[in-house]
Amino acid sequence: MIIAERKPMEEIKELVAPYKKVLVAGCGTCVTVCWAGGEKEVAILASQLRLARSAKGNGIVAIEATVERQCEREMVAEIKDKVAEADAVLSLACGSGVQTMAEMFEDKPVFPGVNTVFIGMPQGEGLWIEMCGGCGDCFLDRTGGVCPIVRCAKGLLNGPCGGTKRGGKCEIDPDKDCGWVLIYRRLEKQGRLDLMRNYYAPKNYRAVKRPGKIQAGKA
Amino acid sequence: MDRRIGVFLCNCGGAIKNIDFDIAAGKAAALPGVASVDLSSNLCLEEGREKMLSRIKEEHIEGVVVAACSPEFQEHIFRGVLKEAGLNEHLLAMANIREQCSWAHEGDVTEKAVELMEMAVRRARSLQPIEKKELPVNKEVLVVGGGFSAINVALQLSRIGLRTTLLQEEALLGIGAEESERFCCFDTDSMISAAEIDENIEILTSAQMTAVEGKVGDFRVVIRKGVEEIIRKYGAIVLAIGCQTRLASDFGPELRTGGGAIAGPNIVSQEQFCSMLVNPNLEKEPRTICLMFDFSDENSRFAAVATLNNALAAKKKWGSEIYVFYKNAKVDGQGMERLYREARNCGVVFVKTDASPRIAVENGRVGIEARDTFLGEDISLACDVLVAEELYLPGEGTGTLNLLLNVRRDSRGFLQDENVHLYPVGSERKGILFVGGCRGDSGIGSVLADISSVVMSVHELLSAGRIPVDVEKVRADPQKCVACLTCIRVCPHGAIHLTRTDNSKEVAGISDLACYACGICAAICPAKAIRFQGHRDEEIVTQLEAVGKALNGCHVAFCCERSAYPAADLAGRLRLHYPENLRIIRVPCAGQVDVFHILKAFEKGAAAVLVMGCEEGACHHITGNTRAKERVKYCDMLLKEIRVDGRRVAMFNLSPNAPHKFVGAVNEMIKTAKEPGR
Repeated sequence: MIIAERKPMEEIKELVAPYKKVLVAGCGTCVTVCWAGGEKEVAILASQLRLARSAKGNGIVAIEATVERQCEREMVAEIKDKVAEADAVLSLACGSGVQTMAEMFEDKPVFPGVNTVFIGMPQGEGLWIEMCGGCGDCFLDRTGGVCPIVRCAKGLLNGPCGGTKRGGKCEIDPDKDCGWVLIYRRLEKQGRLDLMRNYYAPKNYRAVKRPGKIQAGKA
Repeated sequence: MDRRIGVFLCNCGGAIKNIDFDIAAGKAAALPGVASVDLSSNLCLEEGREKMLSRIKEEHIEGVVVAACSPEFQEHIFRGVLKEAGLNEHLLAMANIREQCSWAHEGDVTEKAVELMEMAVRRARSLQPIEKKELPVNKEVLVVGGGFSAINVALQLSRIGLRTTLLQEEALLGIGAEESERFCCFDTDSMISAAEIDENIEILTSAQMTAVEGKVGDFRVVIRKGVEEIIRKYGAIVLAIGCQTRLASDFGPELRTGGGAIAGPNIVSQEQFCSMLVNPNLEKEPRTICLMFDFSDENSRFAAVATLNNALAAKKKWGSEIYVFYKNAKVDGQGMERLYREARNCGVVFVKTDASPRIAVENGRVGIEARDTFLGEDISLACDVLVAEELYLPGEGTGTLNLLLNVRRDSRGFLQDENVHLYPVGSERKGILFVGGCRGDSGIGSVLADISSVVMSVHELLSAGRIPVDVEKVRADPQKCVACLTCIRVCPHGAIHLTRTDNSKEVAGISDLACYACGICAAICPAKAIRFQGHRDEEIVTQLEAVGKALNGCHVAFCCERSAYPAADLAGRLRLHYPENLRIIRVPCAGQVDVFHILKAFEKGAAAVLVMGCEEGACHHITGNTRAKERVKYCDMLLKEIRVDGRRVAMFNLSPNAPHKFVGAVNEMIKTAKEPGR
C-alpha cells in the first residue's frame, strides 16, 4: 500500500492562499488506510482551512469530496461538477492521484496536500513502515523475503555494515531493526544461510526506466 | 427532513422558576419542523405521560423533544411513552433545561432554554429509528481451569441448568485446590466427584484451548487434546486458571535443601510445609518453626491465610515453638481475625518487624535476625524450619490466554485490566469472565463471592437463550469501508471483526451482541464509514449549528454520559453557577468525540471546546478517555498550526460526583479562551 503524510500546514496554506474556493479531494484507497487523505482527513483539513482563513478575515469555501480511487479517470470524473465549482484542487491522494486529477482538469491548478512517502504496511495502530522501494528488480528471493534496499538504512546488498547495534538494531536509528539481521534470522530459520555467502554485484538501478510502464501480458 | 416534531415542556412542578415558559413555548413553536408545543408541570407523572401520549397520537408526532429535567433521570420513562405511542423509542431528544440551565445559572435563562430546545429539535429531526431484536445465544459455557473456582463455577452453573465444559491442562481435576481444602475446610474430593457425575458437566483433561473466535453467545473454540483437535461452540468463557507461587526471596543454594525432611538447614514454601504436616514418615518433628509473610506484598490474603493456618496446624500437631514474622498482618478477610486470635491463644508468637528479617545458616539451623518494632530491640533466634515468604503470581498460561482471548491484564500480569468498571469478574469483552486466583490473590471469602458473581453474570447472559440488542446501532457502511482494520484494532470490546459482504468484499463487521456502543470506532474511522445512530455527524453538526447561530463567544463541552454529564447535573442541583454560554453535548464516551466534531464546533463559533470524560483508569470503555486525551492533543496541534489564537481545546477527566471540578474546569477554560478578534 502507498503511504503518504499530510504536508506541513504552512505549505498548504501558501498553496491555496490565492484561491477563494478550493476543492479538498480525498482518495478512498491507500491514503484512507494510512490516515492521510481519506474522508476523515479531508473533513479535518477543510475545517482547518476554513478556520484559518476566517480568522484572517479572508474566508475560503472548502468543498469536500472523496473518490474511491483518485488514480482512476472514471472515478475522478464522478466529482467533475465539484471540480468545476472550485478555483483550485487540493488533492490528498498519492502523487499518482494528484496527476490523474491534474491531467483530467488541465485548466485547474491541482496541488498535492500530502507527500507520498513510500510503499509500506501497518505495524500497529497508526504506524506504518516502509517495505518496498519499487526498484523494478525484486531481490526478495535472495533475502528471505526481507528487502535490503529499503529495510537496510544504507540499502546494502551484501550483508550488514559494521554498524549493527546490540539487539540487532541499526546504527542510524536505534529504534529500527537492522535489515540484515532480519535477513539472517529469516534465512537461518529456513536453513538457507548459505545464501549469505553469495556475492551480489551492485544493483543496476537503471532497471528502473523512468517513467515506468507495465503492459499486462493478457491485455 | 419534514418529520413532525412535538415539543413537550415541563416546569417540573414549579421547580424551574427562571424560565418564562410562555415565551419559550412560543419560540419553540416557531422552530422549523415543530408541529406542536405542550406545556406541562408533571410530564414524568402518570397524568403528564398520558397527556403526552394522547398529544403524540392526536398530532401525528414523528419525533419528540422533551424539555425538562436531565435525561439521566427520566429519559427511559419518556422512551416508554414513545414506544406506547407506536413510535421508535430512539426518536426522542431531550433538552436539559433544569439541571443544566435553570438551576445552573442565575437570573432569567429563557433564551438559553430556547437554544437548548433548538438543539434538541434539530437533533430529533435527524435521529433515526433503531430496531430492537433478540438474538439467539449458545447456552453452553467453557470453564478453563480445574481448581476450586473452576469446579465450583461448573457445579453452580449446572444447578441453574447450564451445561459446561471443564477444560483442564493437567491430567487431573482439583490440582491447585488443595489449599482450599486444607485451609478452608472444603472437601475437594467430593467436589470433584460431584463434578464427575454431573450430567451438565463435561470434563476435558490434558487439553488446551488453542484458538478462540467469535463473540458472546457464539464463541468458536479450538481445543487440542493430545493430537486431536476439537472445535466447540460456547456462549461464554470463564477463566479460572488460578495463580502460582514463588518464594519471595531467592535463597542461595547454601541455604536450601528443599524436600520435606529436616536435615540441616531447611527453608521451605508453604506448600512444602503442608506436605511436612501430613507426612507420617517425618524423620524428626521440628521444635522451632518460623514463618514469614507480607514483607513483599502486604495485600496478599492467600499468604496470610496460609501462614496462619500452617502456624496453627503445626502448633496443634507438634506443639513446636512458633514465630510468625510479619510487617502489617492484614487479617481483614473472612474468618482471618478468628484464625489470628486462635493462633495467638495457642501460643504462636507474632513478631512485627518493619524490614524483612536477615536469614543465615548457623550450625545446621536457620538463624533469623530482626528488629522487633514494638520492643524496639533486635532479636535473633534459630529455628529448625523456616517457612519463607511466598509471592502469588499469575498462572503460567496467563500470557498466552490473554492474547488468545484478546483481553487485557493488570500491571502485575493477572487476568483483569485494572479498571473499576470490570470488577468483580468482568472483562472488557462481553461473555469472557475471570474468577479465582487468576484475578490476583484475594481471600477465600471474595473468591466465593466471585464465583457467585460469575454464575449470576452467565445466568443473565445466557439463561434466556437470547439477548436483546439494538440492531445495527453502530454499523460500518460496506460501501465506504476500506477494510483498513483501524476499528478492529481500536475496539476495546473486541466487537469488530473482518467479515465479507454478500458480494464478498472484505469489510468491518460490528457485532450487535458484543458492541457496547461507545463510538470509539466511529470517531477514528478514516473513511468515515462507521455511523453510530444517535451520534452521527449529522446529529452532532446540526446541534452545533444551533449553538453557533445564537451565541457570542459560546463554548461547547462534549460530556461523557457516565461522568461529566452527571457531574454537570449535580452542579446544577447544588446551584453551582457557571457561565451561561456553555453548551453541553452528551456523548456515550469521551472516546466518541471526533476531531472533526471539535473543529466543527470551532467553525460554528465556539471559542473553547471541552472534552470531558471519566477519570483515568476508570473509563467504561477502557481506552475511551485516553484516546480522547490523545485526540484533544492532536486537535490542539491542528489549531496551533493554523494559528487561530485564543481558541482553546482541552480534555478534563472527572468522576460523576465531581461537580466542583466540572465548574472549575469550565470557568478556567472560558476565562482563557476567546474568539479571534474579540
